[in-house]
Amino acid sequence: MPDGGHRTPGLRGATASLAVVDNVTKTFPRVTALDKVDLAIGAGERVALVGPSGSGKTTLLNLLSGMAQPDSGVVAVGGRDLSHNLPRRELSSLVGIIHQQLDLVPQLPVVHNVLAGRFGHWGVLRSFLSMLWPQDYHLAVAALEQMGIADKIQERTGHLSGGEQQRVAIARTMVQSPLLVLADEPVSSVDPGRAQEILQLLVALTEDTGRALVASMHTPYLVSQFFSRAIGLKDGQVHFDIPAPELTQAIQSDLYGLGQEESIPHQN
Amino acid sequence: MRPARPLLESPHFLSLLLLGAVAWSLTGVAWGEPLLHTGGGDSALDMLLALFPPDLSPAFLLVCLQAAWHTLSIALASITLAVLIGFPLGVMASGALVSPDSRLRAPLMLSSRFVLGTVRSIHELVWAVLLVAAIGLSPLAAIVALGLPYAGILGRIYAEFLEDTPEEPLTALRSAGASSWQTLIFGRLPLCTPDLVSYTFYRFECSIRSAAILSFVGIRGIGYEIQLSLGDLLFSQVWTLLLALLAIVALVDFWSGRVRQSLLES
Repeated sequence: MPDGGHRTPGLRGATASLAVVDNVTKTFPRVTALDKVDLAIGAGERVALVGPSGSGKTTLLNLLSGMAQPDSGVVAVGGRDLSHNLPRRELSSLVGIIHQQLDLVPQLPVVHNVLAGRFGHWGVLRSFLSMLWPQDYHLAVAALEQMGIADKIQERTGHLSGGEQQRVAIARTMVQSPLLVLADEPVSSVDPGRAQEILQLLVALTEDTGRALVASMHTPYLVSQFFSRAIGLKDGQVHFDIPAPELTQAIQSDLYGLGQEESIPHQN
Repeated sequence: MRPARPLLESPHFLSLLLLGAVAWSLTGVAWGEPLLHTGGGDSALDMLLALFPPDLSPAFLLVCLQAAWHTLSIALASITLAVLIGFPLGVMASGALVSPDSRLRAPLMLSSRFVLGTVRSIHELVWAVLLVAAIGLSPLAAIVALGLPYAGILGRIYAEFLEDTPEEPLTALRSAGASSWQTLIFGRLPLCTPDLVSYTFYRFECSIRSAAILSFVGIRGIGYEIQLSLGDLLFSQVWTLLLALLAIVALVDFWSGRVRQSLLES
């Protein structure tokens, strides 16, 4: 990997960009998390963000989710500037994020955690009703069927295994049905067999035309197997931006600042 | 070098001042007088011996049962009233229903906190005296006298539980499009239900003791009977009544344990 890497910011392919990150800088009290980053993500793309911890992956995901705002620059999804305090219904139809810790409400039955994806469409009254008679029930059933855990719909979420809870989180995003699906470390601390399953489900989630997936990843062979594009971040900047199949252990090791013989740390 | 702190703010100075106050207060004790009145020891012994056995005659047990029932119903009604008032005020005081940048946030939180603080700062016995004067010796006076300060306590603690829920699931709900109402119903409340329920049960237990005490302003119940028996120096009856009080509290404790367990397991 030559110094500087391949930097190919801007549009890739002819598709109109679904998400645009334009000259974005975000700083935290001690560090610059993102430094003048430019990216364009087209519909149908499956983008893997790779890079050591502290490289800015999570910050980039949070900015794309609209839950954090850049210090300067613009983040837009589906042509809408996310800094413009969008109504929650609109924002939730643009982006959905699945966090590493899943962040479900363990005390609730699975059905309510899944139907949370419909909140953007419900008013207060309908939400109250849903506590007693789950609204849009068929959507929850369909999503859980696709996840293969339809039989768990009435179970208390906290009683499910880690893998099942991950499926519940994905089912919520499926019901939410956003244009851009974000996943923060979806398969870290997951065994290899399950990592394959989860990535398949995430890919299926964005297979519809007009959608895209962005996930932070650590394992090169999974990136080349499931993603179309790999973006390497280092010190808050885009270090490389290549087709996913080209991502090799060597390229990633360079990103982590390690020799090629050394292994890549699994997490953090 | 740190700048020297003013003398009044130094912790050592304050500690010395407090110690001095304690030492000075000791000079006010009349050291020469005996600790017990003449005959005080004997009556204490009488009371203690009356426990063997307590008065278990059927007629008095019936009196006991009625008094216990009365106390328990007042406690149950007042804790219900306290939840009905305290819960909505607690939710408002927690600020869960207004977004952090809303202009209404501070006034809403402060005014509900003020109401909760006011009803709480007046002791239930004072409420009872006031209400008995206002509406007379009735169970209603007792229920309201207990319900108001307990609403203040419950509301304040509810607000704290609601504020202390883990933030991550709530952020996830918001990013899925949840409003603050939805975040409350499907996030905050379920996340702290076990805490809310078990604290309410604990307060229910306290309200039984308080309901018994309220008899001292003339409202019927276990405390009223204790007062009567004590006046007649029937110590074995006093013991029976105290045991009855113990029995109700133990019963509620057992019940709340069962509920808590089922909440954690289900």
